[in-house]
Amino acid sequence: MKLLQLGWSHRAAASDAREALAAVPIERVLAELKARGVAEAVAVSTCNRFELYAASSREASPSRESLLEVLAGLAGAEVEAQAEARADARAVEHLFSVASGLDSLVVGESEILGQVKTAYETARSAGLTGKRLNVLFQRALYVGKKVRSETGVAAGAMSVPSVAIQLAESIFGRLDGKSALILGAGAMAELAAKRLVERGIGRLTVANRTWERAYALAARFSGEAVRWEAFPEELVRADVLIASTGAPTAVVTRATVERALSRRGGRSLFLIDIAMPRDVEESVHALDGVFLYRLEDLESIVAKNLSSRAEAMAAARGIVEAKAREFDAWARSLATGRELSLRHASRTRP
Amino acid sequence: MTAQSVFTWGAFVLYSAAAFAALGYLSTKDERASRAMLGLLGFGLALHALGFAARLAAFWAFPENRFFLPLTSFYGALSFMSLALAAAFFFIEARARLGILGAFVLPFAALALGAAVALASPDVGPLAQPLRSYWLNLHPMLLMAAYAAFANAFGVGVALLIQEAQIKSRKPSELCYRLPSLDELDALNGRIIAWAYPVLVAGLAMGFVWAYLDWGRVWTGDPKMALALATAAIYAVFLWLRYGAGRRGRRTVYVSLAGFASVLVTFFGAELMRGRHSYLGGPR
Repeated sequence: MKLLQLGWSHRAAASDAREALAAVPIERVLAELKARGVAEAVAVSTCNRFELYAASSREASPSRESLLEVLAGLAGAEVEAQAEARADARAVEHLFSVASGLDSLVVGESEILGQVKTAYETARSAGLTGKRLNVLFQRALYVGKKVRSETGVAAGAMSVPSVAIQLAESIFGRLDGKSALILGAGAMAELAAKRLVERGIGRLTVANRTWERAYALAARFSGEAVRWEAFPEELVRADVLIASTGAPTAVVTRATVERALSRRGGRSLFLIDIAMPRDVEESVHALDGVFLYRLEDLESIVAKNLSSRAEAMAAARGIVEAKAREFDAWARSLATGRELSLRHASRTRP
Repeated sequence: MTAQSVFTWGAFVLYSAAAFAALGYLSTKDERASRAMLGLLGFGLALHALGFAARLAAFWAFPENRFFLPLTSFYGALSFMSLALAAAFFFIEARARLGILGAFVLPFAALALGAAVALASPDVGPLAQPLRSYWLNLHPMLLMAAYAAFANAFGVGVALLIQEAQIKSRKPSELCYRLPSLDELDALNGRIIAWAYPVLVAGLAMGFVWAYLDWGRVWTGDPKMALALATAAIYAVFLWLRYGAGRRGRRTVYVSLAGFASVLVTFFGAELMRGRHSYLGGPR
């Protein structure tokens, strides 16, 4: 079998060819290839990459040049200079590492697996997949899932806000129905609010010394602004507190927290202090059911996750390479007429 | 070896393997370990049920035993409790996608069944005259079902304490993200106990009724009775704290753990004291 891959990804220095290709609907690409007599082709198009996989059993398979010509015609731009090209075993390995999220901008992200699946399904319904690409893409989806479930590439948050969210979820489970109180209305507060809203926080309240700024921030995230003096009262309702004020001394004292705790019905309270100097008195961490994380705590978790991700990636590469070799052996066996068996190939349902 | 002991030994081996798979899942996050745990546990439950059926057949071979459950020996009680524990785990926690808690619950099922097959005698004989009562099918069965549920709650409570310590440490390990959240663990612990408590109370009440009908008195000063009442009192305190006083988290969970310690003392400790409930010395 001859398998050819052409790719334009976020790794390339220039992105104009990728952008021109991204603007072309996949269906048009597939229709054009079909019209030119290509037997099997799948196009994966996401915001970070455009890739084309073409395969055929005959030796008269589409050439790299003819595929590039089709794509250049559709994109209305010169695309060849920025293209990466791979063939056979290397193309297989590349697809498997793309599906596993190893080639992603944010390593291990899971969206790409769904995008590969959609790309495959689109090609299949266009009648452009045969035995080779069917097995190849089902295999890629299987490898993507396997890598994510057996290695830690997808685990571990890599930034301070995502670590904070992950901890909040370790305390409360799902965040919908939970409420967050944000003290301060600066850039950090805004970033925190954005993440919480993305994770579906039930209720968002902002308190700031300057009422107008609290109001503006709350309005941007359909939250609620309260007067600064009212924040201790809000602490009774809040599950997560994010403090990032510019106050010179701690504004959330142990006494404030203790008063709130007596009216909280035993619910846990997660305090995140990203202000410098600190907003929350350190001693509140000793209170039962109260968890105070400071900026440096979150940063050291990020550092630890980054180092363990490196190990996980090595393990993930091992799986990808082994599975690519396995597929390559199968693909070669097709030509000999004595087809090898490929375990699990049918297990990953599209 | 009889069919009963072959099946039951098999179930013990499978429960142990499932417990190891659960521990493996806890430490590696390899999904295959989690699936292996469920598979092993499912087969273990099936074998155990067959073993129980074989035991029932052997027990009912004595005409005077017909339709009573063989729970009066140490073997029968431990085996039944292990079955109830594993089944409760299989249907509550594994279904609720909290299979990771198997690491905290399944070792109990394996230990209870291991104690039965390795230490207790599986022999069955005719029931002693005073035990030939339909209360026998209700009183111990309800109590053991409640104990099995409490063992599940104990596993959840231990997981909660580990999760709490993880988050308090500010240096959470991978384990922190694998365990269910504190809120979920707290809710599950409370919910299991709230469901099991009425079963416990019903089991005890039936014991008292049976005692009154048979011995003419409700209170006979039997040590197992006293210990079982203490267990009920501890769990009552827990339920009051959790649902009455609105307390949650670590300290409340300590009370529920004390309740389970009391279950263990009631079940095993009573053997050391002479009383009518002793499996080893009492009437069969």
